Amino acid sequence: MSGEVAITRTVLGSGPRGSEDPNSPFSSSQLARLDEALTLSSLESGLPFSVYVGDLAVPTRGSAEELFTKLTDESVLVAVSPAQRCLHIVTGPKSALRLPNRSCALAALAMRAAFANGDLVGGIVNGLRMLADGAGHA
Amino acid sequence: MSIVQTLLVFVGIPVLVFLLLAAAVFGKSMVRQPNRYRPGKAWDYAPRWYVAHPEVLKGPATGSSTAQGGASGEW
Repeated sequence: MSGEVAITRTVLGSGPRGSEDPNSPFSSSQLARLDEALTLSSLESGLPFSVYVGDLAVPTRGSAEELFTKLTDESVLVAVSPAQRCLHIVTGPKSALRLPNRSCALAALAMRAAFANGDLVGGIVNGLRMLADGAGHA
Repeated sequence: MSIVQTLLVFVGIPVLVFLLLAAAVFGKSMVRQPNRYRPGKAWDYAPRWYVAHPEVLKGPATGSSTAQGGASGEW
């Protein structure tokens, strides 16, 4: 895993709509949707969600779990690699109690369907919503 | 009707209509979706990690949490 990971946080509702970052894979309106989904699902469930979009080292599952070691026990990581066409949802010791593997598998299934249609942001947003619904309220 | 007029009416107008329709169909997607993802297309962007709350990140690679469960998928 290359250590170079850009950590981006856009603030809900006040993102810079006019200035597009040419290096960003998503447009500013897509980023706003992503941020809204991240913030709302984290607020609603009390679990801090994070989304990683980029290449994962092989084996991809191990690399996603290695990314998770930088997070807290109650975090949920959604790792998506568009180039390798794989996605991983990783839960920690505390978040696994709230989010059983069945709920994660259901969200992963929905995300796969959206990604196969080329809808990257829509899949992530829907997946986060399903994960937050599965975890219930804090 | 001169030859020029004939050409304008029977060639110029159809070409104009064709171009207008083509612009209406393809114009917006060519201008506004330069980075639309398609399955199988290359992904040349740097990895990004979007977090809702930055304080959950404990620091560079020194966290103590371990993965417990989850799910995987391919498309």
